[in-house]
Amino acid sequence: MKHFRKLFSITAILLVFALLLGACTKPAPVETPVDAPVEEPVEAIVDGIDCTGVKEGDVVSMLYQWSGEEEAKLTEILTPWLEACKASVSPESSRDQALLDTRVQAGTPPDVAFWQVPQLTQYKDKLVPMDTLGADKSNYAGYWGDIGTIEGKWLGLPVKADPKTLIWYSPAAFEAAGYTVPATWDELVALVDQMAADGNVAWSMGMESGDATGWTGTDFIQDILLVTQGPDFVNKIISGEIAYNDPAVKEAYEIYGKWAMDPAYTVAGAEGTLSTGFNDAILKVFSDTPEAFMVKQSGFASGTLLGTYPDKVYGVDYAFFGVPGAQGLQGGSDWLMVFNDTPAVRSLVKYLSSNKGGETWATIGFDLTPNAAGNAFYATEEMIHKAELLSSATGFTPDIGDSIPGGFGSAEFKGITDFVNGGDLDEILDSIAAAQADAMTQ
Amino acid sequence: MAKPTVAPVMRQKPLVPWLYLLPAIIIMTVFILYPMINTVGLSFKNADGSASAEVTCREGQPCWGAFENYRYALTNELNTSSPKAFWESFWISSYGNMIKWLLGMVSGTVIIGLVFAVWVDGIKSEALAKSIIFMPMAISFVGAGVIWKFVYNYGTSQVQTGILNAIISAFGGEPVAFLSKVPLNTFMLIIVGIWMWTGFCMTLLSAAIKSIPEEVIEASRIDGATDFEVFAKIQVPIIMPTIIVVITTMVINVLKLFDIVYVMTGGNFGTNVLATRMYTEMYTNSQYGRGTAIAVILILFIVPFIVMNIRRFMKEEAMR
Amino acid sequence: MISLTRTKSNGKFDLTRLLTGIGIVLILLVWLIPTVGLLVTSFRPVALINTTGWWTALDVNNGPESAQHPDPNASYVEKLGTRFTINNYVDALTGYRGTKSYLEDCKSGTKPLGMSCSIKDLLNPRGMGRAFLNSVAVTIPSTILPIAIALFAAYALSWMKFKGRYAVFAILVGLQVVPIQMTLVPVLRMFAGMGLNGTFPAVWLFHTGFGLPYAIYLLRNTMSALPKDLFESAYLDGADHWTIFKTIILPLTTPAIASLAIYQFLWVWNDLLVSLIFLGGSKPVMTYQISNMVTSLGAGWHLLTAAAFLSMLLPMIVFFALQRYFVRGMMAGAVKG
Repeated sequence: MKHFRKLFSITAILLVFALLLGACTKPAPVETPVDAPVEEPVEAIVDGIDCTGVKEGDVVSMLYQWSGEEEAKLTEILTPWLEACKASVSPESSRDQALLDTRVQAGTPPDVAFWQVPQLTQYKDKLVPMDTLGADKSNYAGYWGDIGTIEGKWLGLPVKADPKTLIWYSPAAFEAAGYTVPATWDELVALVDQMAADGNVAWSMGMESGDATGWTGTDFIQDILLVTQGPDFVNKIISGEIAYNDPAVKEAYEIYGKWAMDPAYTVAGAEGTLSTGFNDAILKVFSDTPEAFMVKQSGFASGTLLGTYPDKVYGVDYAFFGVPGAQGLQGGSDWLMVFNDTPAVRSLVKYLSSNKGGETWATIGFDLTPNAAGNAFYATEEMIHKAELLSSATGFTPDIGDSIPGGFGSAEFKGITDFVNGGDLDEILDSIAAAQADAMTQ
Repeated sequence: MAKPTVAPVMRQKPLVPWLYLLPAIIIMTVFILYPMINTVGLSFKNADGSASAEVTCREGQPCWGAFENYRYALTNELNTSSPKAFWESFWISSYGNMIKWLLGMVSGTVIIGLVFAVWVDGIKSEALAKSIIFMPMAISFVGAGVIWKFVYNYGTSQVQTGILNAIISAFGGEPVAFLSKVPLNTFMLIIVGIWMWTGFCMTLLSAAIKSIPEEVIEASRIDGATDFEVFAKIQVPIIMPTIIVVITTMVINVLKLFDIVYVMTGGNFGTNVLATRMYTEMYTNSQYGRGTAIAVILILFIVPFIVMNIRRFMKEEAMR
Repeated sequence: MISLTRTKSNGKFDLTRLLTGIGIVLILLVWLIPTVGLLVTSFRPVALINTTGWWTALDVNNGPESAQHPDPNASYVEKLGTRFTINNYVDALTGYRGTKSYLEDCKSGTKPLGMSCSIKDLLNPRGMGRAFLNSVAVTIPSTILPIAIALFAAYALSWMKFKGRYAVFAILVGLQVVPIQMTLVPVLRMFAGMGLNGTFPAVWLFHTGFGLPYAIYLLRNTMSALPKDLFESAYLDGADHWTIFKTIILPLTTPAIASLAIYQFLWVWNDLLVSLIFLGGSKPVMTYQISNMVTSLGAGWHLLTAAAFLSMLLPMIVFFALQRYFVRGMMAGAVKG
């Protein structure tokens, strides 16, 4: 009885405390430099930023996948706009697509979202076209417009691009071993064989990535296709005109498999490829006693590497070259898409697509910006090199797995992991092609 | 005084029980029953729930009409080209994995929980020992995923950051890719599940053991029973109802298990279970029709256990 | 096997006791080691986490050159000092998002983004400190409400006679089968219509809804196992249901309530999906912050280890605190036997 009374009173106190906490907890981390919102419209053009129609204190709700450092960079990029237009953002960050999906389904989407290309198609009926919002199309190369246009409407603004068709290596290690950077695909193949003949391991590969395990492998396949077939071929796979079990794709898998499954060419062979985490694979090339000479990876590899070895210098200890012979770049891209048309949102869209937006993005260096106005503003040698690759590219293909809706992405990941595990290539390609066909009927 | 032979149940005004029940009924109807019925309809439409089911039928392929999504849910993982292929594909499908999880995790958690509860009952550091076993329940699934990453990690040929592989290489063996090797990986995940949930079973069973009156135990000891006999012939039979409650609860939890698999492998490499499949279909692939069909199948698997439980309660009621 | 405190009547060396003791210790070790690994890792600098195993923490010469002590002739203790750090915890608590660490940045004078290098940073919206408060605000009502409602419902179902009691019980308990993912979109739509989205009551209600089936199941089982003699005498004395509820049921089911409270508390505390969807990122809970410690590229594991530990502290305290309610004799004969 005594015990119970005590439990009851503690419970009552806790309940009151929690209810108070819930009532008093300050909401949203509103990122704004302004103290008291005043209901008057802001100056139209400030510092090259168009703030027409924005009232002081307007809030734009955002959903994006970035957290930690990445989010900090985005905040820095948005700061000029926030200060000029005296607006603020209510941001949420989650890599869980369930969040975006349920919000949209329930009719309460965020004002804007930064997500990937397939979402443009997925939510095409709910997005506001960029032209309506006043985005400036002149700063973007033709292929960006093409990717972002769904059924004739320009629905997405590309804000960030990260090329994947890069091979990272250590110039110091290359020099010490007497290797040179290959200029053509055949030279690359010869280099790999040379390394194997010297008893060195050429590639570090790692596919492990939780529920997306296999993506580094499918990226590699796509880059090989860019070399052997070109970007149009890849885009046709995405649109479904070319089936996944095409002989050219099979050839790409065989080239990849020859390297990925053999311990002479890749650290720990098939086992290593399958189970090494993609970040660990990057580190293996740059550790104190490197285990391999090259890793094919996106632009973020340098960030991973510097996180563990902060003293490495670009150009000396690490550098990259584009996959030789690739006719075009494959890359990840993040797109701004708009669900609610408000003056503050319009202003934001105009800012990001303007010269000022491009310049700011490049200066902060949050990966590359497809906004051509930023090309001259990259701050580090590494970014400048990447930007050169991007601007000279004749085509940009998004990741096939990211672009085909439905279950294709997971089928592709499963397929390549089965392949490296020793599965039958024809069967695997047929099942992926079936998933592709399935997706096309949706 | 003669005791009544029927359970004394008081008569009350007919509305009283409903008053006690009303808040519960309202909340559960609004938050569980209504949404469930609302979404079940989607499973009879096409794969993403936007049009009628006939759309997904293709020439020359089997078609189940309105049950097309169910056909997908039941057969998609299975390879019917030969009996051997079927057998193999079954055991790494979500259904085969459910069987592995049920057998492995339910027996693991209940047995270890029971034995441990009995062993530590009454010893000096009982609270501390029980807290250590219980601690994994306090760790969220994200936390558990991180913890076990440092146990299972594959590492490189020179450096091991995962303790299991470090032990294996210290003895001269080759590191094992615990999370990607089929079918080993499902068992490694089951180990994580047992690590997390044994505390739960132990807590309930410990409470039950403590409720056995001292006199009963003392009496049997005086009669010369050994420790083991006391355990098997007195304690277990007395707390059997609680054991059954614990087993049923664990079965339901295992069937609904999602987080461990999702966080550690995402359902890849043959570790898929029904709940992760449902989540992937619904939110990663946006195929609501298929996702809800899988959810309905999951529900149907759980229902027999609930029915069993209710039947048992009714039998007990009759004895009261 | 019953208890190590009992001695065998013949006083001889008890092998069973020894084996049991060894068994207990082995199980405890297996249970502890993974968590100890995390604890040690959370105090290590990030460069060492990625390149060496946590058990090498005391071996000062292990690891990449860049992580070694600058002075090769430094003493063991000095070298050991560079192998441990509290930066992970500070960064996690304050939600530091830069490239070095909160303490380094503040010491060198540059204020990290969004922070002021003062004690106020503990409440930074990106940090675990603020998330702790939010988690508490979510969890406590979501634990108390379902238990309170379930107590009434369970009593009605166990000791009141009325038509349909079995059917109601079957349905209520049967609702345990429904997976949460199925219900998210309809409920979200409903909340949007009522303007409850992004508020704490939304999460409280949802968790209450989902916590009820199991709570009623467990409580009814406990209540119906209470000896009927108690009730008989009470009825004969003319007590009504409310009195019986207050004076008999509540005190006697305290251990079950305690078990349930622990279970529900943990479930809500560790939940990510429900808070994410109904509360959103504007009121981050601990699980949300933890999942965002790691960037989309997988950087930030070191922060995750510290954050995971921080989120474990309160649940463990709750567990310890509620242990006293598992007292022998409280439920004398209460569990059906």
